[in-house]
Amino acid sequence: MRVNSNDPEKKEVVTRRAVLLGGGFSLLLAGVSARLFQLQVLEYEKYQRLAQENQFNTRIIAPLRGEIVDRFGETLASNRQNFRLLLMPDEAGDVDAALDRIRRFVDIPEDKHARLLREIRRTQGYAPVEIVNNLEWDDFSRINYELPHLPGAHPEVSETRNYPLGNATAFVIGYVGAVTDRDLAAPQNENQQVLLRQPGFKVGRDGLERTYEKELRGVAGAMDVKVNAHGRVIEEIDDSISPPVQGQTLGLTIDADLQLAAMKVLEGESASACVIDVETGDILVLASTPAFDPNIFTKGIPSDLWRELNESPYKPLLNKPLGGVYPPGSTFKMITAIAAQRAGVDPSFSVHCNGKFWHGNRFFHCWKKEGHGRVDMAGAIKHSCDVFFYTMGTKLDIDGIAEVATDLGLGETFELGIPGQQNGIVPSRDWKRRYYAGTPENQIWFPGETLSVAIGQGATTATPLQLAVMTARIASGKAIRPRIVRLVGGLELPQNNAPHMELSEEHLNVARLGMYKVVNEVGGTAVRSALANKDWKLAGKTGTAQVYRITDEERRRGLTKGEDLPWHRRDHALFVCFAPFDKPRYACSVVVEHGIGGAKYAGPKARDIMTAVLNKDPARMKPISAESLTTASVGRTREG
Amino acid sequence: MASIILPGPRRGIQDQIARLHWPLIIMLSLIAGAGVVTLYSVGGGSWSPWAGTHALRFAISAFVMIVMGLIGIRYWMALSYPIYFVALIALALVPFIGDVNMGARRWIDVGPMQFQPSEMMKIGIVLALARYYHGLRAEQVSHILYLAPPLVMIGAPVGLVFLQPDLGTAIMIGATGAAIMVAAGLSWRLIFLGIVGAIGGAIAAFRFGVLHEYQLKRIFTFLDPDSDPLGAGYHLLQSKIGLGSGGLVGKGYMMGTQRELNFLPEMQTDFIFTIFGEEFGFVGSFGLLLLYFGVIMTGMNIALRSRSHFARLAALGICVTFGLYVLINTGMVMGLAPVVGVPLPLVSYGGTVMLTIMAGFGIVMSAHMSRDPDAGGL
Repeated sequence: MRVNSNDPEKKEVVTRRAVLLGGGFSLLLAGVSARLFQLQVLEYEKYQRLAQENQFNTRIIAPLRGEIVDRFGETLASNRQNFRLLLMPDEAGDVDAALDRIRRFVDIPEDKHARLLREIRRTQGYAPVEIVNNLEWDDFSRINYELPHLPGAHPEVSETRNYPLGNATAFVIGYVGAVTDRDLAAPQNENQQVLLRQPGFKVGRDGLERTYEKELRGVAGAMDVKVNAHGRVIEEIDDSISPPVQGQTLGLTIDADLQLAAMKVLEGESASACVIDVETGDILVLASTPAFDPNIFTKGIPSDLWRELNESPYKPLLNKPLGGVYPPGSTFKMITAIAAQRAGVDPSFSVHCNGKFWHGNRFFHCWKKEGHGRVDMAGAIKHSCDVFFYTMGTKLDIDGIAEVATDLGLGETFELGIPGQQNGIVPSRDWKRRYYAGTPENQIWFPGETLSVAIGQGATTATPLQLAVMTARIASGKAIRPRIVRLVGGLELPQNNAPHMELSEEHLNVARLGMYKVVNEVGGTAVRSALANKDWKLAGKTGTAQVYRITDEERRRGLTKGEDLPWHRRDHALFVCFAPFDKPRYACSVVVEHGIGGAKYAGPKARDIMTAVLNKDPARMKPISAESLTTASVGRTREG
Repeated sequence: MASIILPGPRRGIQDQIARLHWPLIIMLSLIAGAGVVTLYSVGGGSWSPWAGTHALRFAISAFVMIVMGLIGIRYWMALSYPIYFVALIALALVPFIGDVNMGARRWIDVGPMQFQPSEMMKIGIVLALARYYHGLRAEQVSHILYLAPPLVMIGAPVGLVFLQPDLGTAIMIGATGAAIMVAAGLSWRLIFLGIVGAIGGAIAAFRFGVLHEYQLKRIFTFLDPDSDPLGAGYHLLQSKIGLGSGGLVGKGYMMGTQRELNFLPEMQTDFIFTIFGEEFGFVGSFGLLLLYFGVIMTGMNIALRSRSHFARLAALGICVTFGLYVLINTGMVMGLAPVVGVPLPLVSYGGTVMLTIMAGFGIVMSAHMSRDPDAGGL
């Protein structure tokens, strides 16, 4: 088929249609251009802003947690930066080569190298492996610089809470732990919310760390960072930084030296010790054994350790000075003596003790079977004669005893900022009514009960802290209130001058004299606890709290001594004391759980602690000032 | 066949080169130069991996264009159907011997290089249809009997490419074929029917799930990009941010933040116009559009001054393909068209497309060399 390709009709049609197509294209291109104009010229500012938002992100900078220092500025809790290097084996590819490259910057000993390789094999390369931690800054920064040549290497900075005194301050300071859902749910501002969500952020879980969380936490800072589309930070904008504010420093009344000394004295026992400044109420020592190491708790408590601590009969998780309650036993006798004087009994009043006391329809036994003979009030304290105090019990109303006990701090909890304080029990008619609220027939107070309370038994219980407060108040005559936090940031907590108690000096003097005789006179129950330095006189009182009553059957078999009983059935040993006698400054209480006898086991420990206290005499030294805490990093660290 | 033999004495090669359409070559070179400059920036200020290769490919492709331009148009007419059928067979073979790349099977290995049969088909369809209508009389164009062959010639490659799946190229081939039919003088009644049919087909494709989910997603995203700013609309939004934040004169060469921060995918290919617009602003990107406009107007001028019907329709078809590339790509990055993966001709990185386009302009150049000196242009 031949066709005239130059058919003018065809050419004319194509020309017309081509003009049409060209016109259509031009129109569409004009549309595209208009759109371009709209985006780039008319809406420029909108997209300019969006581009900015694209580029920049705000990064939260976690604040450093406030430090905690002792009364002289020694660090009890601080922050330690931990520079570590992790390796992601699956990113590294050839692990051997990667380790060799890393070894050019940090030293990896042969044995550790082998261990790392084993660990990498065990995790099959999918878990990060810690190559080194606690790197020096120089090494760490060099690794960061060389990072492009170290595939799989991940340098990391973490903050670790550090407790230099370890278990010695576990119960005072507590510890920090990971943020829980409960923490996140608590009402708080957005800044704090964001902070809590930072990976690895820790909050106070116990002790002062928990109570003073708000003060210790500090305020988060922020910084603009330039990020790419994958959220990876590629530049930090230095002048956009709003620096974080470190949490406030807490200054405690605790003396680190004495705290450590007390822990050493109590080592191996399930025991507590408490030393108070009788003038100010400052707690110098608050020791509890055995104790856990808060440095381990901070990293997350291993479950086997947790189980072990929970199941131990020595209760290493119990803050014994505040949360342990014990019958005060004979340490209560000063209270009975004071109550008796207030009821009109003259201190010269004497009783003949033949070892037992008939009351109601039964005998009440003195601890000394053969009796003490004739004893007056101070002598009864010296010998801890039960018969004398049984006699007082018949002369006294229970509410009179309870009043003195309450005045001296029993039955009370104090504003320390440490959770877990127990009240203990000061028996009284009112207490019994409340205790037996459901059974009115049991609410009647029997006179025989007063006799038990008079020697610190019966329902009476107290914490070691309360016993220390009692002793301090007897010693100074002042209604001191114990405290453990002196300074919060640059602020000194007001310590009002403790007023003199309503109890008369005269009555207190009899109790003090009795306590003096206990330690310093021949025949006193605690002469073995006298201080070696004869310039200082210790005044104290022993106590033994019955845990298990030896049965007549056991007595017949010859079991009379506490040492023959299994540990958990032995009596608690107590000792309270103050010194120096002529010018009292420090009061101390020691409770040794199942320690058999106060004189034999608690007294010498109290003596050793008090010797350390008197040797240092911290009350004479000027404690750290509030102003010096406003600068960051105030704490001194213990040498060695 | 005598009508397409060049009249007059044979000219020397130097004369031939002098007769090339140099303004067209310069405009194409400027566009490709814009590509090199942008790819240098996308590469982070480096000739590798894209800018150097792009420049080299353009040099080779420009040489191919000139050589093709020096070959008389009658030879191209003779090769029309063979080229079309080779492309069609290659397309049919792709499902069996092709390589899977980015979830679609489009490539065939030829020795050390790869090529996309669908790209070759873009030229093939133009040549074959031009050849077909060259042989028809004006009144036959709209005759029902002569309607079937071009529809089959268009339908077969469109179907094959659609199945790869490559919606963008299928639309390009279909639209180019339709444009040539329109240019050849299809009656308005049939054009209207064709439009209705295309719309009906599109609706059917939606209704009966012919389209892949990601294709649907792209289309709906284009209609309402802000509905899903982090999902399918993310790239479009980022593209608009890139262009918009470029402003009137741009952020400056190598200063684009969207580029620097990797907010855009396929920066070296589909979204390269965004990068160019971000760094050179409205002044730069509108200038680039004007260059494209210039190329197409020049190409159409050549078409209308051609002496043969084949040359006219072929050159026109090439211009339509080229124009579609530009419109779809720029429309796509600005949110006027769905993101269908059509590159910006001569600027986007990609060897096959570059060669296809320059080969297309080789045909246009050949038409120019065989022009009728007396015929008037636009």
